[in-house]
Amino acid sequence: MRVGPVFFCSERMDATVEDLVKNERLINQQLARYGVKFGIYKDGVFQERLFPFDAIPRVIQADEWATLEKGLSQRVRALNLFLKDIYGPKQIVADGVVPEDFVYRSPNYIPQCEGITPAGGVYSHISGIDLVKGKDGIWYVLEDNLRIPSGASYPLIARDLCRHCSPETFRSNPVVDNRDYGELLRRTMDSVNTGGINVVFSPGRLKGAYGEPSYLAEKCGAVLAEAGDIYVRDRVVYYRSTKGDQRVGAMYRRVSDDFMDPLAFEPTSVIGIPNVFGAYRAGNVAILNAFGNGVADDKGIYYFVPKMVRYYLGEEPILSNAPTYLPFYEEDRRFVLEHLNTLVIKDVAEAGGYGVRFGDRMTPGELEAMRLAILDQPRRFIAQEVVDFQDLPIMDNGERVERKADLLAFVLSGKDETVVWPSGLTRFSRDPDSFIVNSSQGGGFKDTWILSH
Amino acid sequence: MSRRLDFFYDILLEFDQPVRGHDFVLRCLPPSFPGQEILDVSLALESYAHFALQRDGFGNLLQLGRIEQPHDHFRYTVRGTAMTAPALRRPEAAHPIFRYPSPYASPAPAMEDFLRALDLPEEPSARAWALVTAVQGRMAYTPGVTGVNTTAAQAFETGMGVCQDFAHVYLALARASGLTARYANGLTQGEGASHAWCEVWLDGLWTGIDPTRGRWTDDSYIRFGVGRDFGDCPIERGVFLGGGGQRQSVYMKVTQQ
Repeated sequence: MRVGPVFFCSERMDATVEDLVKNERLINQQLARYGVKFGIYKDGVFQERLFPFDAIPRVIQADEWATLEKGLSQRVRALNLFLKDIYGPKQIVADGVVPEDFVYRSPNYIPQCEGITPAGGVYSHISGIDLVKGKDGIWYVLEDNLRIPSGASYPLIARDLCRHCSPETFRSNPVVDNRDYGELLRRTMDSVNTGGINVVFSPGRLKGAYGEPSYLAEKCGAVLAEAGDIYVRDRVVYYRSTKGDQRVGAMYRRVSDDFMDPLAFEPTSVIGIPNVFGAYRAGNVAILNAFGNGVADDKGIYYFVPKMVRYYLGEEPILSNAPTYLPFYEEDRRFVLEHLNTLVIKDVAEAGGYGVRFGDRMTPGELEAMRLAILDQPRRFIAQEVVDFQDLPIMDNGERVERKADLLAFVLSGKDETVVWPSGLTRFSRDPDSFIVNSSQGGGFKDTWILSH
Repeated sequence: MSRRLDFFYDILLEFDQPVRGHDFVLRCLPPSFPGQEILDVSLALESYAHFALQRDGFGNLLQLGRIEQPHDHFRYTVRGTAMTAPALRRPEAAHPIFRYPSPYASPAPAMEDFLRALDLPEEPSARAWALVTAVQGRMAYTPGVTGVNTTAAQAFETGMGVCQDFAHVYLALARASGLTARYANGLTQGEGASHAWCEVWLDGLWTGIDPTRGRWTDDSYIRFGVGRDFGDCPIERGVFLGGGGQRQSVYMKVTQQ
């Protein structure tokens, strides 16, 4: 089996990649054993699916990565400053850079967070920035995930298995080691810890991606806990352990805001911790990521991120957004309505690849319905130009084919530093016609090689 | 216009079966602010119910606690003295959140139609008052029809409810008509149960208006909490293990000194 030329690099690299491709079945079997799965809601029913691995890695050259790294760090620093501002002085709204409507009308703005500065001043400790590389060679940010970005464990586990199957591949290629993710996570938690142990708080085994919290807890040396293991007394969080109750100083939670505290949010939640919000408000525990981050990563606010970079950092944004229009603004609305059949329309209230419509695939009737919906609720939609992104090779039943792929980059922000993990989750679409690579929509993943030189 | 009011508020929750691991948040203490000075206040809880104090983002006072051991009832009693003088209120900025719909106070299409059919005056305070008249015309005070989770839209549809529902319907309409308005709860002079009303932001002053009783509030009102709606400031919220049915008895009394 020939894989064919994958890289601009050496023939030798191709030979070693073939070694990985030969082992693809074995690697996938091992991944299934590790429980590399994700959860999906289909017709209202929760299902777990395997996440297929493709052995041909995505390769990012050293100089290209250096730019990405700077751009990602810059973007996340601006987003953290935005969150601090929105729940504090609100200067960016007062200065008219972001319209009030996009902040305070967002269902993801949490008024309970007003006036709370989280430990270390960090809101988004673990950020997942979703990028694609255009055919023009430019990287575009498609989405920021500042709530509970998941998926870092997939490339970690896959890399381990690849190294195991073909040590030679990693001896002969200058691939930056990505196995320090657990260590980075630990350092991030330690930097904001208010005194006490580190905990990874999982929603329990019935929810999606259960394997990841336990895997990451082990990698970062934190205690894995779920509802019932943790309680709050006197505004302090405790973990019930066999050695007696231990104070919790930092908690990397994999439960969404709504379900984290039945006394502050959704009262029927049984997977949260009563009064943990009170402990957080009192500054007695660091919650990773902080509460209320959704206001900075919804599709409506995305448009404003480059403006945030200029506003807070006084720098030109290094990373580009996909060209985006807000029907909220009259001029944009006119453009969107005139070019509806060439744009992607996204409903800001939906996530996970849902509520995304491609104008060129809508029938005249659907286009008309969309036009009316936009006129009726302009604030609800954003419109983007279709980024013609580069295809990556995958092996499909022994045949090498090209598919759309994205990159979810992980950025870790502690009290004093913002670090970009030299790796990431490259996801590809199985369907040759699909531009949607979100794992909730089917598809698989690849290893991402950052070259050191 | 000012009054010195003695207040007493007593709540008893009784559980059919003992409960344990009982976490709670109370917002049963009135804070001091310009226009309302709490001269003296005490909160009595069962001796084993330890609690800590906190203030939330709306400025409300919170009592957070946990009862580990099994118990078949939960009682809290508040006593104090307040000096109320609405004339001493000071202008303040209003958070933008009070201009938009909130979970319990969102206007249904029928409410928007209702609003359009009203001939509302331009002047904000006249409009705030006109909406009280409109809500009174639409809603009939009817206990036992609605619950704590009834939304403005549901209450509006049936045209029935209690003070919380009147307040939610009022807020949804007021905000949709361009006013900045929030939910308030607490006690009023007299005897019986706690009460809920609204505050409208007029000329920079949060001004109390009571859609249930059809009046502006005055110095006979003692405010406990404020929020976008009921969900932001319930007087008591708790979760626990075990139990079955529960009954709540409320008694309050406010008298002028």
